[in-house]
Amino acid sequence: MSWRRLGRRLLQAVPVLLLVAIGVFVLLELAQGDAVDAYLAGIGGAGDLTLAAELRQRYGLADSLGARFLTYATSLATLDLGWSIAFARPVLDVILERLPKTLLLMGSGILLAALLGIGLGALAALRRGRPTDTVVTTAALVLNATPGFWLGLLLIIVFSVELRWLPLGGFSTLDSRATGLAAVLDTARHLVLPAATLGLTYFALYLRLMRGAMLAAAESGWVTAAKARGLPTRRIVLRHMARPALLPVVTMLGLQSGTMLGGSVVVETVFAIPGLGSLAFEAVSQRDLPLLAGILLAGTVLVVLVNILVDIVYGRLDPRVGDNLGRVAGD
Amino acid sequence: MRMGSPWSGLIGPALLLLLVLAALLAPLLAPGDPLDMVARPLTAPFTDAWFPLGTDQLGRDVWAGLVHGARVSLVVGLAAAAATLGVGILAGTVAGFRGGLVDDGLMRLTEAFQTVPTFLLALALVSVLGASAGNVVLAIAISSWPPAARLVRAEVLRVKTLDYVDAARIAGMAPLAIAFVEVLPGALQPVVALAGITVGEAILVESALAFLGLGDPNLQSWGSMVANGRALIRTAPSLVILPGLCIAMAVLAVSLTGDGLARRLGLGTRS
Amino acid sequence: MGASRREILLSTTALAGVALVARGRGAWAQEPVKGGTLIVAADTEPRNLNPAMVASNGVFYVSSKVVEPLVEMDYETGLRPVLATEWGGSEDGLTYTVKLREGVTFSDGTPFTSEDVAFSAMQVWKPLQNLGRVVFPNLEAVDTPDPLTAVFTFSVPTPPQLIENALPALSSVLPKHLYDGSDIAENPLNMAPVGTGPFVFAEHRPGEFIRLERNPTYWGEGQPYLDAILYRVLPDAGAKAAALETGDIHLTAFSAVPLAEMPRLDALDDVTVVDKGYEGITYQITLEINHRRAELANPLVRQALRHAIDPQFIVDVVFMGYATAATGPVPSSAADFYTADVATYDFDIAAAEALLDEAGYPRGADGTRFSLRLRPAPWFEQTRAVGDYVRQALQKVGIAVELVTADPGGHIAAVYTDHDFDLAIGSPVYRNDPAISTTILFQGGLPAGVPFSNQFGYDDPEMNEIIAKGLRTIDSAERVAVYEEFQRKAAEDLPILVLVDFTFLTVARDEVRNVANNPRWATSSWADTWLQP
Repeated sequence: MSWRRLGRRLLQAVPVLLLVAIGVFVLLELAQGDAVDAYLAGIGGAGDLTLAAELRQRYGLADSLGARFLTYATSLATLDLGWSIAFARPVLDVILERLPKTLLLMGSGILLAALLGIGLGALAALRRGRPTDTVVTTAALVLNATPGFWLGLLLIIVFSVELRWLPLGGFSTLDSRATGLAAVLDTARHLVLPAATLGLTYFALYLRLMRGAMLAAAESGWVTAAKARGLPTRRIVLRHMARPALLPVVTMLGLQSGTMLGGSVVVETVFAIPGLGSLAFEAVSQRDLPLLAGILLAGTVLVVLVNILVDIVYGRLDPRVGDNLGRVAGD
Repeated sequence: MRMGSPWSGLIGPALLLLLVLAALLAPLLAPGDPLDMVARPLTAPFTDAWFPLGTDQLGRDVWAGLVHGARVSLVVGLAAAAATLGVGILAGTVAGFRGGLVDDGLMRLTEAFQTVPTFLLALALVSVLGASAGNVVLAIAISSWPPAARLVRAEVLRVKTLDYVDAARIAGMAPLAIAFVEVLPGALQPVVALAGITVGEAILVESALAFLGLGDPNLQSWGSMVANGRALIRTAPSLVILPGLCIAMAVLAVSLTGDGLARRLGLGTRS
Repeated sequence: MGASRREILLSTTALAGVALVARGRGAWAQEPVKGGTLIVAADTEPRNLNPAMVASNGVFYVSSKVVEPLVEMDYETGLRPVLATEWGGSEDGLTYTVKLREGVTFSDGTPFTSEDVAFSAMQVWKPLQNLGRVVFPNLEAVDTPDPLTAVFTFSVPTPPQLIENALPALSSVLPKHLYDGSDIAENPLNMAPVGTGPFVFAEHRPGEFIRLERNPTYWGEGQPYLDAILYRVLPDAGAKAAALETGDIHLTAFSAVPLAEMPRLDALDDVTVVDKGYEGITYQITLEINHRRAELANPLVRQALRHAIDPQFIVDVVFMGYATAATGPVPSSAADFYTADVATYDFDIAAAEALLDEAGYPRGADGTRFSLRLRPAPWFEQTRAVGDYVRQALQKVGIAVELVTADPGGHIAAVYTDHDFDLAIGSPVYRNDPAISTTILFQGGLPAGVPFSNQFGYDDPEMNEIIAKGLRTIDSAERVAVYEEFQRKAAEDLPILVLVDFTFLTVARDEVRNVANNPRWATSSWADTWLQP
C-alpha cells in the first residue's frame, strides 16, 4: 500500500462521511425530545421553564433548524468534535476513554473468531465427510444462530455464577491499583467471556469460507502438481491449500469489522463494559448530537483503517504477489 | 450454509413447521394475552399443570409467551427480510442497470450505510421512531439492505451483457422494462440463497432490539423475555434459557430451510 | 448475627415509632471501628455531582458525603443540626434566621462562614437548583450580620414549616471562594465537588467507579469512621445481587437489586434487606390523565378508571409487597400532613363498567368502549410493569389500551411538552412537604414544557386556591389543615390517580454498621457509618 493509495482511500471516504454526518443530524431531528429534555428527565425536572430555556440557549438548541445545521456542519468540517451535552465534557475525551476498551474487545473477539474459523475450517476440510467435519460444521451452524446476548448470559450463568471462575462483568477489578503484568492478567480475565461471546457467534462465517476455499484449493492444479512432485503433505496443506484459502477469510475480516462494532453494543451491555457501543446507545437516548456524530466518525475511521490493514495482509498472502512483494507496504 | 444432507434436508423444514404451527395455533395453545399477569409470580417450570413452563416475576405464563413470541419473531423476521430484500433489489437493479452517476451515487449511499454498523443504525432508528413492530421492521430494512443491493448489482452487471438482454434492447423494449423484466429475473438466483440468511438475521436483530428494551411493548417477544429474566438469572435461569433456545431454533430453522431451498434450485454450489 | 438483627427489624417494622429501629441497631453495635473502604453499587454516574445545583437522589447518593446541608432529617427530633446549629423563622414569615456551626472548614482548609450560605442561596439554590426555584422564588436576600449568622429575607411571607421541610434536600452549601465569579453551571468542580463533608472527592473513572476518601479535617468528633467510599458502577441488577453475595460490594441502595431477589438475599446469613431509611423520600405511582381527551375529561370515566385498577395487585405483584396502596397525593408515611379522611374507591369492576355506561360509553360490537394510548415512564422497572398491569386492567372493562414506550427524553417531551398521550404512568417524589414537588402536579395554568408538573389539562379554580393558600399560610397547624383539604379535593376530582406509595430497599452485608439510621439515609453523609472488621 503506497501513500498515494492511502490518500485515495481516505478521499473516497469523504462523501461517505458526509452522508453519515447528514444522516446523524436528520436522525436526531426526528426524535421527540432534545438533549435538554433528556437532562431534565435525569435530574427530576426543574419546576419552571427558565432552566430549560437557559440550557437550550447554552447548547444552541434554541436556534433555527438551519442555524443549528450550519453550526454542526462547520464544527465537523473543522474536525472539531465539540462538546458532549450529556457528559459535559469534550466529545474527544469521552470517545478516547471508551475507544481502547471497545478496540480490545473487538480485537480479541475478531481474533478468536478468525482463529477458530481458520483452524476448525481447515480441520473440517481435511476431514471432509467424516464425523469431525459434521461435528465442527454443526456446532458452527448452531452457534451462528445463537443470539449473542443470550450466549453471553449463558456463559455468565455457567462460568461466573455457578463455577465462579470468571468475573461477572466490567473491564477490570475495581479500583485495582495493579500495574504491569498483574493489570494485564486482570483485564484478560475480564475479557474472556465477552471475547468468547463475540468470537463464538461470529466464527461460523470464517469457518465456512476457510473450509470451502481449502476444498477448492485441494482440487486445483497446484495441489495436483505438488502431489505429483512428491512434496510432503504438510507442505502441500500449508502452502498450497491453507495459504490461498486465507484470502477470502481476510477479506471478510475487513468487511466484518463494522458489523462487530454493532455486535459489541449488545455484548458491552451484557457484560457491563463501558465501551463505544454502549456509548452510542447512550448518545441516542440523551439526544447528544455532537457525541453521536463523533462516535460514528470514529467508527468510520476505524473501519477505513481496518481495511487498509486488510490490504496489507492481503498483499503478503496473495501467492501471485509472491514472498517479497508483501513488503512494499512500507515504502 | 453447506451441510451434510440429512441436516438441511429435513431438520430445517421440520423445525420451521413446528414454529409456524405454534405461531398459527397460539390462540388455541395459550388463550388470552400472553402479557397478562395471571398467576403467582415465579412459579417454577414443571410444577403447575396450568403453567407447564412456569411464570415470570409478574406472574405471566412463560409457555404463552413462547408460543405467542413465535408469531412476533416469524412475522417481524419475514416482513423485515422482505422489506430488506425489496429495497436491496430495487437499489441494486437501478444502480447496475443505469450505471454512470446514478450507480456512483447509489454506491456511495450503500457505502455510507455499510460504514455505520447495521445493528447500531437499527438501534438508533427504533429509539428515535418509537418501539413498535412496524418501526422495528422499517429499521431492520433501512439498516440491512446494502449487502442485497451489492449482490444484485453485481449480478445485474453480469446479466446485462448477456445476449438475450441485447436482443430485448434491439427489439426496442423500454429500459425500465428491460431492467425489471429481462435482467432482474436472471440476477435473482443468488438472492434466493440470501433470503434464508436475511430472515435469520432479521429475527436476531429483532430479538436483540427487544433485549435492549426496544421491542413493541404490546407484544410478548422472546428477546424481551430474556431481558426480563436477566436480572433473575440466579433465581430463575429458565426465564432466560427457554426464550433464548427458541430464538436460536427459529434462526437455525429458517437458515437451514433457506439453504435447502437454494440447493434444491441448484444454487447452493455457487459461491 | 444476621438473624438476630433481622428479628429486630421485623419486630419494629410494625411500630409507628420508627426511632426504635435506629436505636435497636445502635444498641447491637459495639464501639465503632475506624478504617476500611465501603464499596457500594451505583447504577449510573450523574453528569453533575453538585448537590446545590441538582437536588436529586442520584446526585445526593454520592455527593451528600462531600457537600453538606444546613440540617439533616432525624428519626427522633425531626431535624438535627449539621452546618446549622439553630434555625427559626419570624412570626410574619418574612425572615428566617440560621446560626452556623463554629470551627468548620471546607476540605481545602478555607473556613466555612455565613458568606458561603448567602452565596449558595442567592447564586445557586434560588436561580439554578431544580427544587430551590420552587421553594425560594421569593427569597430576596441573605444578610450576614456576622460570620456565623445568616438571615434569609423574603419578599412575601413564606411558611417556616416549608423551609424546614425543604432544608435537608435544598440547602447544600458550596464554597463561595471556589465558585464566585465563575460560570457556576459549567464550573469543573461540579464534577469534582468540594464541601465541608466527612469525605472528599478523590477520583472518577467513568463507567467504572467514583472514589471518595475521608476528610481528615472533618468537624465531626472522630468522624468519619470509613477511610473511603467506592461507588462501583454496576448497571445490571442481577450483577449487583451477585456482587453482594460474593462480598464484592457491601451495599446497594434504592432497590437496585431486583425485588424478586430480595427474599433470597435476606435469607443469606451475612446479608440483610432493610426497608427503612427512605421515609424522607417517598415515591408514588400515579396514572396521569390527559383531560384533553373528551372521554377522560368526564369525572365519571376517571372514577371508573380508579375502580377498574387494583392498587393492592400492584403492591403484591409488581412491588412484591414492598409498597402500600395510596389514598392520595400525600403518602401515608408522611404522618404530619397525611389524612385518610378522603373519598375512596374500591377495586370494583362492576362499578367501573356501570360508570362507563352511565358516562355514555357503552361497549361496542367488539366489546370495546374506546381506545387509549398509555405511556409508562421509563425510569423504573416498576413503572413499566404498572403500565402492563393497567393495560390489562382497563381491557377488562372494555377500554383498549396501546402501550407506547420512549426513552427518558422522549417521554418527558411527549407528556409534559407535546401532551402527546392519553394516559401515562408517573412516579413523582413526595419530598417532605406537599409544596415542594407534589402540588405542582395539580396546579392549573402552568406553561407547557415544565417536566413533572400538571400538563394534564386540569385547571380547577378551587384547587388552585387551596394550593396558593398552602404557600402563604404561616401557621403550621393551619397549613396542615389546608393540605388536608388539598388531599380531599384531589381524591374527589381525581385529576390524576395516585395508586401506590413506595420507598426503596437497602441491601447491606452485615459488616456495614449504622445503616438506615435516618430518614434520608442513602442520601445523607454517612459520617457515622462504619465497617465491622
